[in-house]
Amino acid sequence: MIQKKICMLGSFSVGKTSLVRRFVATIFDEHYHTTIGVKIDKKIVKTDGGEVTLVLWDIHGEDVYQKMRMTYLRGMSGYLLVADGTRRQTLDDALALNERVVQEFGKLPSLLLLNKFDLTDQWEIDSSQMSKLAAAGWNAINTSAKTGDGVEGAYLRLAQAAQGK
Amino acid sequence: MAEQAQRRAPMALAQEKSTDNNHAYEELRHLIVAPETEGLAAVEERLDNLEKRTCDVSEVVAEAIEMRRATGDQALSDALAPTIQETLRESVRRDPHVLADALFPVMGPAIRKSITETLRGMLESFNEALDNSFSARGLKWRVEAMRTGKPFAEIVMMHSLLYRVEQVFLIHRETGLVLNHLVAPTVAAQAQDPDLVAGMLSAIQQFVRDSFKSKDSESLASLNIGDLQVWVEESPNAILAAVVRGHAPADFRQAMNEVLEDIQRYFSSALANFKGDAGPFRAADERLSKLLEIRYKEAPEEKKKPRALLIAAGIAAALLLGWVLYVSYASWQWSRFLADLHKQPGIVVVSTATHGRSLHVEGFRDPLAADPKALVSQAGLDPEKADLQLAPYYSLDDAMVTKRAEKILHPPSTVRLSTKGGELVAEGSAPQQWITNLEERTPLIAGVTGLDESHLVNSNLQQLFTLKSSLESVILLFPLGRAELEPDQDQKIAEIETRLRELQSQADTFHQSVNVALVGHSDTTGIEGTNLVLSQQRAEQIRRLLLRNGIRRETLRPTGVGTTQPLRNEDSEEGRQLNRSVTFKVSFAPAGSAAANAAAAAASTSTNAPPATPPGN
Ligand SMILES: Nc1nc2c(ncn2[C@@H]2O[C@H](COP(=O)(O)OP(=O)(O)OP(=O)(O)O)[C@@H](O)[C@H]2O)c(=O)[nH]1
Ligand SMILES: [Mg+2]
Repeated sequence: MIQKKICMLGSFSVGKTSLVRRFVATIFDEHYHTTIGVKIDKKIVKTDGGEVTLVLWDIHGEDVYQKMRMTYLRGMSGYLLVADGTRRQTLDDALALNERVVQEFGKLPSLLLLNKFDLTDQWEIDSSQMSKLAAAGWNAINTSAKTGDGVEGAYLRLAQAAQGK
Repeated sequence: MAEQAQRRAPMALAQEKSTDNNHAYEELRHLIVAPETEGLAAVEERLDNLEKRTCDVSEVVAEAIEMRRATGDQALSDALAPTIQETLRESVRRDPHVLADALFPVMGPAIRKSITETLRGMLESFNEALDNSFSARGLKWRVEAMRTGKPFAEIVMMHSLLYRVEQVFLIHRETGLVLNHLVAPTVAAQAQDPDLVAGMLSAIQQFVRDSFKSKDSESLASLNIGDLQVWVEESPNAILAAVVRGHAPADFRQAMNEVLEDIQRYFSSALANFKGDAGPFRAADERLSKLLEIRYKEAPEEKKKPRALLIAAGIAAALLLGWVLYVSYASWQWSRFLADLHKQPGIVVVSTATHGRSLHVEGFRDPLAADPKALVSQAGLDPEKADLQLAPYYSLDDAMVTKRAEKILHPPSTVRLSTKGGELVAEGSAPQQWITNLEERTPLIAGVTGLDESHLVNSNLQQLFTLKSSLESVILLFPLGRAELEPDQDQKIAEIETRLRELQSQADTFHQSVNVALVGHSDTTGIEGTNLVLSQQRAEQIRRLLLRNGIRRETLRPTGVGTTQPLRNEDSEEGRQLNRSVTFKVSFAPAGSAAANAAAAAASTSTNAPPATPPGN
């Protein structure tokens, strides 16, 4: 069976671990346990090209204390860039991070997730922002690890894209 | 000087001539040297043109070096060395990977070889040391360690090396994805998801490299997780990890290395072009399975002296078995003894503890209970080894109460005492005096709540009744019509007298007085009136005889019943004879009571009764 290494990238507390847990185990936990280093999980998905084992590298988010280690990304077939829709800053950080990744590894299949979409009243990303992203070539997806909205679809799309590689 | 002058002379001459023949000379010269000149120009041109010169050298350089080398001259190496060194240094500085990757297939084995050599040397010195100290094997490893100067732990390890490789992972180095994974059959059930383990392992490797800023070629060689070790080896494109339980020897790493190098070589393009399909790496199964072994490392001397070892082991095993048997037998004996002790009346065991082969017991003991030390001896155990702390107490156990009663009451051998629920039961027969004592003291005995004498016979009373009935069975015979005894009846009188005395003394113990009615009988021959008188006379006659022998007067009460109470019917002479007799009737009355006095009075009255005149039969 084909295996693909997929990385979860984005600032701290945007919901990377939650998205993995939702996708792999359909669980959601309100409590926040920050990831230290890397946590690896896997899930087998069906794509047009057959079954693929996604090996998910959930990497700790960047904050003032810890920069992300680029070495963790070596050999990945694609990545999910995650931002927290209730904190605009995390979107800017995600785009900046993406720059660094592209510089180091070239263009790879990736998707931009605007997470915590269930918290609509605190949503900080407006339509103008969305169109700006679209112009930059990003097809951003709103997701919620809490309700599961958009999560599985995002992973499947990425798996599909990564399989070509 | 002279020579120079001579040479110059023709030159000067020629110059002079040349002005004339300049053209001709030039022509001639041209004719003669033109080809050489052109050749020279070509050579010059070749020498001046760098590109051409390079090209020329390139054609011969290999041969030239080869030729020079063949001379065995050092100069060439000397000349090249600095440059080559510089080149290598520069190459490494720029990108260590290039050289490392290139050298990997060469260096791996080379390094291994040298390590193997070193290890073998070390092992040999070990083996020698172990062989020499066989006699003290096991016991003197420490001495060995001192002598060989090697750490003690190392010596011990040499003796008991045992390990099991439980899992082997082949991991793609760049992606951390599993290429192949084998699990030992015995641990297959509890193996973790290899994808996750592989990912974590490669993440850890990257973390270590990042954190310690080490070079790519330096990475974690092993991880310890509880009693598991993960041994890690890396090649340019792959990571080989083995999960080991126990202590694998250093040569296991060598085995890993060999397998990994083999895989790196064999799968080099598959590794380089890996896109997530692990299929091709199934082919590495055989190579990897070589690593999945349980290996026992035998101590080197086992080969040499297996017999001695076997015997030693046998003796040790026998001793151990013997000891175990002995200890368990001893503890079985103790537990049997304790079970007995628990059952003993008058002993209460509160706590017990065995320390090795000795026993400690705490509890209570009635002073009359069995001697616990004696019980220890009876059980075949050493009383010295039993520490019995038993405080005294009064047991209410029936058996103990009985014992206590026996101690206090001293029952005669004819009495059996027992206790039922606190009630003391006396059975058998005993003299009046003991019975009185029993009744008085029983309530004072601890644990006795009542007394049952219903099965106790008073032996004095019994004797009294025996005497009574024996006396009453006596028949004193008289001749026909007379009041004197038949001549052979004197002996009987003496006997009656002794019985009477005995009866009297027995009755005294009960404070009873004895009344003996002397009943005179006659047969039916003759007139009834005469017979009555005759019977009275016969009774009187016996009283006289007895009084003469000192029997108290008030005791005896003669009466005549004539023919009214015949002893037999008179069909025969024998029957008639028996009816000519005196018999006895014994009764008792409390001493000093009215009845006794009345009886005594009655006795004296009949004494005074006038003898019947008419002779009867
Ligand atoms: N309401 C809501 N909360 C979310 C969602 N996703 C994550 N959270 C919460 O956000 C917090 C952080 O989530 P994590 O998944 O731990 O974030 P992370 O990106 O893994 O963080 P680091 O490991 O520190 O980088 C947790 O308290 C989650 O419960 C979501 O979709 N909706
Ligand atoms: Mg996390």
